[in-house]
Amino acid sequence: MTASLEFHDPSGAIEVKRPHAARVAGLAGKRVGFVSNEQWQAYRMLPRLKALLEADFAGIEVLPIDAFPQGNAVIGSEETAALVRASGVDAVIIGNAA
Amino acid sequence: MTNAVAGLGLAPDAAMVTFPIELFLPGSDISPVEARKQEFYDGLTRWRSAFAGDGAGEPPMLRVEGSSVEDAFTRANHLMLANRWGDGLPLWPPTRVRVDWILRGSAEPRGRRLGTFPPRGGVTTVESCAIALAMAGGRPEYLPVLVAAVEAFLDPESGSEALQAASGSAFPVVIVNGPVGARIRLNAGFGCLGPDPQRPAGASIGRALRLLQQNLGGALPGIGTMANYGGGRYTNVVFAEDEASLPTGWPAHGTDRHGFAPGASSISLAFANGATNIRRRGAKKETPAEDALQGMHRMADFMRVPNMAGLAGYEHGTPGILMLPGVVAQTMTGLGWTKASMREFLWEHSRIPAAELRRAGCPAWIEIDTSKVARDSLALDPWPITARPENFVIVVAGGGHPTNSYWLQGYSPAVVGRPVDLPPSFEGLLAEAEREIGPA
Repeated sequence: MTASLEFHDPSGAIEVKRPHAARVAGLAGKRVGFVSNEQWQAYRMLPRLKALLEADFAGIEVLPIDAFPQGNAVIGSEETAALVRASGVDAVIIGNAA
Repeated sequence: MTNAVAGLGLAPDAAMVTFPIELFLPGSDISPVEARKQEFYDGLTRWRSAFAGDGAGEPPMLRVEGSSVEDAFTRANHLMLANRWGDGLPLWPPTRVRVDWILRGSAEPRGRRLGTFPPRGGVTTVESCAIALAMAGGRPEYLPVLVAAVEAFLDPESGSEALQAASGSAFPVVIVNGPVGARIRLNAGFGCLGPDPQRPAGASIGRALRLLQQNLGGALPGIGTMANYGGGRYTNVVFAEDEASLPTGWPAHGTDRHGFAPGASSISLAFANGATNIRRRGAKKETPAEDALQGMHRMADFMRVPNMAGLAGYEHGTPGILMLPGVVAQTMTGLGWTKASMREFLWEHSRIPAAELRRAGCPAWIEIDTSKVARDSLALDPWPITARPENFVIVVAGGGHPTNSYWLQGYSPAVVGRPVDLPPSFEGLLAEAEREIGPA
């Protein structure tokens, strides 16, 4: 004798609501910004990353870490997003979470 | 899900570079940033989302074969654990028959969309709720309360997107008002936050909500939720206010907080991150007035703590939920206390001297809070733990015994209410429950 059970997959469907920004082809000569929440050692890690980018890619312009408003209270706001867009950056790195 | 960063508002599949927690601690060695710099570069240049188009469709039905019914049941449970869909306790496989049985409790079509569960973004429908409730051992008559609780949970005001992922171990608390609570056997009395074979609804509804948080929301420990401890999360907290014991003149919580009509069935959802039993009663020859006043001071003393997670609800949420047994609320009403005067007392006597706040480093947290009202509160000494007395939630619940009260410490940006919609077949479902599991 055998028995079978058929049942629903409880993980459901996933919907992608917002497409991600297109990636840049390369970083040389590009303008890159940081948006920091100033948490979790961002004040040390992001400057290190800035220095690495500047060393590794010719002509890259990496904006100062404090070029945009910092802190969890403001980095998700439309105002900050508008400032990022207006800055003309090609790419943005957001940090830190833990 | 690769990291709880999704709970901070980024898409669940966002390009991320993840490190062990040690890197994020004060004084850490940050050389791994350089060692893995290529991952950052790739994230900006080569990365592609794992989700194609507008996402995946409905997953197919699953099937297990066993040598017997018991063997198939065991294999189904093993499969659900292996896929990380369970909580470690036995699950009812959500078969079509069982899910359709549960759906008899819905006032709405099975496909009605309730939203997407954060942070993973699983599409949530009435049927999703029925699947989770089936797994959790629930019954059809519980479904209306679960659906209302899920709607409140998915309301952006609730803060669930961040709390799902955060390290602070928030768990939802669902308070049920109106006749639906007693009718579906939600406990409001002795042991109302624990197991009760005569009143099992709270455990099933809360467990189903947790399974949705995990299976649709992706809140798996250490992956989608970084909760250090996760206490209270097997069943969350679901109970009914003991409206039969409300003192004269005390509005029910649903009316008081949300403006629902007296006698209407509703739910109210908040988040807590801790629970404390308070021995409220005096021990010797106190007069009734002394007993009440000392009890109030003792409760306020339990609340006078630097709960920085509670800042999330400083302006619009709640510092916590105080549960009082009906006999205590009635005695205090007889002494002239009202719900409003109790809130005023607790607000005033739970203030923290500014020097103690500074000693504990709290101003740094308050200064970076998103709420201006919270930030401005730093000027107050002693510092009130919430912006206004009305933020305290006081509910009458717990057994008819005067010794204890209960404090569910808040971590709740809001307290969200929803009406409970019952299906036309509700009376029949209750009669069926009485036949199957005995009189209520």
